[in-house]
Amino acid sequence: MSETLFEPRRLHPATLIVRWLRIVPQMLFAGVGVAAAARNGGAERFLLFAGLFALGGVVFAFLYWWRFRYTLGPSEIVIEKGLLNRQRRVIPFDRVQDIAIEQRLLARLTGTAKVKIETGGAAKDEGNLEVIAIADAHALRDFIRGGARAATSEATAGPPAAPAEEPVLFAMDLKRLLVSGLFGFSLIFLAAISAAVQQLDQIGLVEWEDWFTPERAGAATQFVSARLVLGLAALVVLLGVLAGIVRTVMRDFGFRLTRAEAGLRRKRGLFTLSEVVIPIRRTQVALIESGLIARALGWHRLSFQTLGADRKEGGVQVAAPFARMEEILPILAEAGFPPPPPRAAFRGAPKRALLRKIAPYILIAAPLTLAAFIFDIRAGIGAGAMTLLAVAAALRWRTQGHAGDERAFYLMAGLLKRRLWLMPHEKVQTISVSRGPIQRPLRLATLIVDTAGAPAMRPLQMEDMDANEAEAKADGLYAAFLGARALVRSGHG
Amino acid sequence: MQPDEMQDEMRRESQDGRGAMTPLDPAQVSVLRLRTALAAAGATLAALLLDIGLLRETVLPPFAVPALVLLLALAALIVFPVRRYRGWGYRESEDEIQVRRGRWIRVRTIVPFGRVQHIDVAQGPIQRPFGLATLTLHTAGTHGASVQLPGLAYGDAEAMRDRIRAKIRQDLV
Repeated sequence: MSETLFEPRRLHPATLIVRWLRIVPQMLFAGVGVAAAARNGGAERFLLFAGLFALGGVVFAFLYWWRFRYTLGPSEIVIEKGLLNRQRRVIPFDRVQDIAIEQRLLARLTGTAKVKIETGGAAKDEGNLEVIAIADAHALRDFIRGGARAATSEATAGPPAAPAEEPVLFAMDLKRLLVSGLFGFSLIFLAAISAAVQQLDQIGLVEWEDWFTPERAGAATQFVSARLVLGLAALVVLLGVLAGIVRTVMRDFGFRLTRAEAGLRRKRGLFTLSEVVIPIRRTQVALIESGLIARALGWHRLSFQTLGADRKEGGVQVAAPFARMEEILPILAEAGFPPPPPRAAFRGAPKRALLRKIAPYILIAAPLTLAAFIFDIRAGIGAGAMTLLAVAAALRWRTQGHAGDERAFYLMAGLLKRRLWLMPHEKVQTISVSRGPIQRPLRLATLIVDTAGAPAMRPLQMEDMDANEAEAKADGLYAAFLGARALVRSGHG
Repeated sequence: MQPDEMQDEMRRESQDGRGAMTPLDPAQVSVLRLRTALAAAGATLAALLLDIGLLRETVLPPFAVPALVLLLALAALIVFPVRRYRGWGYRESEDEIQVRRGRWIRVRTIVPFGRVQHIDVAQGPIQRPFGLATLTLHTAGTHGASVQLPGLAYGDAEAMRDRIRAKIRQDLV
């Protein structure tokens, strides 16, 4: 690869197959109307259209391959693509957050891989090289990693030779994998089935209206019994568990986390093999989470929030999907994170915070209870539901807590699924204290610590602290941040 | 109340044991007033149109609804701009800036200069005649990804931007 290193290059010819397989179904969906028309015209018309689509797919796939070029530079990669709208994207190596190598089934058959270069920017598909030879993919990654290191720390060495054996930090055998699958209960198959039926309905192969007539529905009700309903429910649950196992096995088969030079290397996948290096310097927050039952049995999931992580997985990279706490601690230490403090070290919210948590539900429940007695007993259902929500809110209040030491800030939250965040002080972006109209008279405040790549849905925040404590904690966290930054800077020279 | 008096009162009000915060430029009250006035005029116009049209079908006396809307709008015009102005404050220090905002939900945010990725100084059409600008600090975060500070005199905003820019260290995330 060294002679023609800086030459413009095209993707692997297998691109043609991969693109074709992607384009043709797209065109088929776009041409649903045509397909329906073709169905009326008989099998020959249908075959004719299918043939045209297939041929068109070949042309488009070829054009994509022909017009796609990437060029390596000494400190950047340039990607050019597009037929009419040419797009030229320059990605400097020192902006690269993450490089993932992914091999789907087809890629494995053709000896190719997809390389995803993430910079943490807003655009998706920032630097995707969809199909390149697997050897090239590894060489490219090592080159970019080496280049990025050379650019930041003035190391003079070229791309380093990959060491033969990396120490294994975490691996899952088949038994563990299957057990973890049991906890992956998922009803996604119901959505898949309904989507498939809708799709068929659109194409015109299935007519909903013909299936569900009022007469049929009336006839069907005669067969509905308690036993049938229970049986169906059991079937749904069984399928849900099965779907969970299948999904987990497909994703986490052969899970291995090893210590690579610049980070933690994760390999996993049954059909789609993926390989990711979680760069240690770019990890922001460690997250340990576990559901109610898994927690009781001592199983946890460890992931790291990085800037380049896939938003589809919640902006975190999973480092250990199903592990004992004693397996998680060495991984944390390897990534430079402190161990989580004991439960007793966490400070909860003050008692009066309960008032704010449950007040909204009680305020709705009270008139509903009244209504149940005066107007309609059914209002009691609403009152009951609100009371349950109030209880859940109270339990959530009990769970939430924060802790801190000289290295990091820790936060715990969640009723059923419990989450524990570990944030080293030097990872702070901004710190906020927020006081709403209900919080103010109760002298409560919410502390929000923002980090790079934090998920929008679940920010690092401690709700309903004592207002003075929250203000002081904000100032304290900022002081700790300044201290930690100074330490990091002097340590790195 | 005179603008100077108001600024003095603001300084006193924001003494929350953590040092005083600087209020925004007093001209910001006029900007907020103009903005509220435009919204109020829009609401009143909409109510008038509704009055000529749909409301004639009902038993409501003519012009009752637009008059009510106008009254509410005038009340809002008197109350909101000053309230919102008082919600804001900032304190610039050696390594960070603190911004306080909001009256209904009060938020104090600490932005370390080392975390600022880039800075905008923007001037909207309503701000321009008053010579005001909005300073926006962008960080790599999510919840506090961009922290805004409106209602600074344009020259002040630019000076502040230059000061902060000089202090930004090229920290890698």
